[in-house]
Amino acid sequence: MDLRPASALARRAFRDARVRTVSYALLFVALSYAQLVAYRDAYPTLSSRLAFARSFADNKAVRLFYGEPHDLLSVSGYAAWRIGGTLAIFAAIFGLLAAVRALRTEEDTGRMELVLAGVVGRRAAYLSAMAAIAAGILILYFAELVGLIAGGLPVGGSAYLALATVSVVPVFVGVGAVASQLSPTRRMALELGGAVAGLMFLLRVIADTASGLGWVRWATPLGWAEELRPFTGARPLVLVLPAAATVLLLVLAARIAAGRDIGTGVLPARDSAEPRLGMLSSPTAQALRSERGSLVVWLSGVGAFAYILGVIAKSSSSAGISKNLNRELGKLGSGSIVTPTGYLGFTFIFFVLAVSLFACAQIGAARHEEADQQLETLLALPVSRRGWLGGRLLLAACAAAAISLVAGLLTWVGAESGGVAISLGKLVEAGANCLPVALLFLGLAALAYATAPRASAGIAYALVTVAFLWNLLGSLLGAPKWLVEVTPFAHVGLVPAQPFRAGAALIMLGIAAASALAATWVFERRDLTGS
Amino acid sequence: MNAPERESTEMHPQPVIRTEGLSKRYGSTLALDGLDLTVGEGEVYGYLGPNGSGKTTTIRLLLGLHRPSGGRAELFGLDAWSDPVAAHRRVAYVAGEPFLWPSLTGAETLEFLARLHGGTDISYRDLLVERFQLETRKKIRALSKGNRQKVQLIAALATRAELLLLDEPTSGLDPLMEVAFRDCVKEAKERAQTVFLSSHILSEVEALCDRVGILRDGKLVDEGTLAELRHLAVQTVEVTFAGQAPELRPLPGVQVQSAGPNALRFEVSGSVGPLIAELSGHPVATLSSREPSLEEIFLHHYDGSDGRAER
Repeated sequence: MDLRPASALARRAFRDARVRTVSYALLFVALSYAQLVAYRDAYPTLSSRLAFARSFADNKAVRLFYGEPHDLLSVSGYAAWRIGGTLAIFAAIFGLLAAVRALRTEEDTGRMELVLAGVVGRRAAYLSAMAAIAAGILILYFAELVGLIAGGLPVGGSAYLALATVSVVPVFVGVGAVASQLSPTRRMALELGGAVAGLMFLLRVIADTASGLGWVRWATPLGWAEELRPFTGARPLVLVLPAAATVLLLVLAARIAAGRDIGTGVLPARDSAEPRLGMLSSPTAQALRSERGSLVVWLSGVGAFAYILGVIAKSSSSAGISKNLNRELGKLGSGSIVTPTGYLGFTFIFFVLAVSLFACAQIGAARHEEADQQLETLLALPVSRRGWLGGRLLLAACAAAAISLVAGLLTWVGAESGGVAISLGKLVEAGANCLPVALLFLGLAALAYATAPRASAGIAYALVTVAFLWNLLGSLLGAPKWLVEVTPFAHVGLVPAQPFRAGAALIMLGIAAASALAATWVFERRDLTGS
Repeated sequence: MNAPERESTEMHPQPVIRTEGLSKRYGSTLALDGLDLTVGEGEVYGYLGPNGSGKTTTIRLLLGLHRPSGGRAELFGLDAWSDPVAAHRRVAYVAGEPFLWPSLTGAETLEFLARLHGGTDISYRDLLVERFQLETRKKIRALSKGNRQKVQLIAALATRAELLLLDEPTSGLDPLMEVAFRDCVKEAKERAQTVFLSSHILSEVEALCDRVGILRDGKLVDEGTLAELRHLAVQTVEVTFAGQAPELRPLPGVQVQSAGPNALRFEVSGSVGPLIAELSGHPVATLSSREPSLEEIFLHHYDGSDGRAER
């Protein structure tokens, strides 16, 4: 059998994914390394680590993000908890995107049809897509390994921790592969896979925070990564679970793929519909019409998360925390996180991040309309460039405001039902506090879109991610104050724990407005650019 | 257009499309090189050229989607780059590739495009939907390329815009629909709409267009009415002789080929007079002369050229 066509296909798929693979690999190296250095720097002595551990032992709120800690007194135990917990989530997203991109997107665009019309069969096409993803997983594995070893962990333990983290990827590749078979479109496959990933994350949150429900951890791949217990009594046998799940899902996907028509999914695509003529009066209205599905997903996702945060805010307790430790925790960029208010202030920075990422996604959608050349159709009509871009930005800003307010509102609902006394006004203020940063990134993303359309989505997401991580890690890494404060996240008042910083917010809004104007100016002067 | 305006344009006829030294460079590729083009009101202009010769670039510049590297383009006397919206109210455009919104149905797309353009003739649109046999309940993503092309065509024709800019509008259409398309263009011509038809389907241009421009490597290499183009191009004359074909004196602008034992074929550029004079001394049995087809004119301009950059 001639393997050359299949291997050419695998190389093609690997090349298509190279930007994503490299970005994730950099994230894996940077986060592993930086966390280790930061922990050593912030908690150099056993006593400081003891105090740190005690503060987290009962803090369910923090566990929500990073999972259940088993040992916080050693650098390696901390690494297993903090690095493993965080990167496992990124690993899940990576696996999902990789599978949907390699399988459903290829079919959606009609490229797969072209491939299968050639000498490559279905099975070979599927296997070469998987081979390309496997190569990507290997790169992520070594990225984390390098970061951990460079951060000073022993080689053997690092290898196992990296394995535990990366074990999450193939399972979600399986989830993405099955979702790609079920869904007739890329968008639906991502939504379906995303819903599964969200559910798996929610299960881990429940397992790690609700007392007596620890067993739920066995129901989610993110929990398996924890149960592998790197550095804290390793249980390599648990690896059987992700391995079995991966094989099961991939075989299932392959069987479905073998039995269906190319270009279709198991779930029916609704190809005909009675016309609904609402929201077609302008390009902006039509954009809202096509984005409303993802807007609902964002609103409900952020709302559900906000509600859970509100409910568990009460478990933040200040018992046994020394002043000294509080100050150290302050270096994490969180102020005091051991009161419900302080904790909510700390967690809202994640909503600031989420809404900023939403802003990037909106610019991504605008770019999509240009890359797919529908924008050409629009601008050949009596539609001005300024009107189109302005409408898109306005829509993004309004949607970001809605998400921010929902975050504040549902945190309050959760806090009320959890028995934390905090005013609605204060939490709505915390929600609104997300907006200046999000609008700043919206403006900057728009500027990137106008000046470098093809790279704009990458630039926008990178800006937000780097700015956010720099805020968390910059001060821990001992960077000078002015350099740490380059990131807009450093200038967010941690409402409700701290007052709203009106001055900083005004400056951010000013920069946002200036960027948006500059973006419009540039956009009115450039050629439209296809994909 | 209202009556007084028409009067004034008749006194000082203002071209619907006018370009002066219009050029476009993409990186190191010169896609369009100093194009001078004038299309008058009510004219049906055929814009011919193979793939990559600069047809789509021209249309993008006319629509202000891309910015000229040199020269200028005007629609109705309005600058195409700096004042696009005002011009687009009077223009309807059909792209070579139908780029529409996959999740909208045909009916929704037609409605969306009509609202954005304004001035769509709804009853004419319904007639066109019938004529092109478009299934409007289907979503764009479920339509074949030809059917998506129909959506675009119907939306554009139904605006009854003063200028129709058509970029290879029949790509993907079946022969029946091509006939329907030609009928629509003829109707547009009767209504004094101006049509700019970019195409590489020569029979279509031959059947519809008053004037033709031929584009090669970003330059307009020939332009005129079909009659003018024919006049300048090579004519074919076939002669059979009573008995063996004679040896003839070489004549300037005439190429001779053998066409059988007692027949000759002459390719004549310019007048056929000298050839006729020369033949009169020989026993001519039959003589037939044929006007060159547009295809021959076109190929004449592209003789021996290939491998142009795709744009």
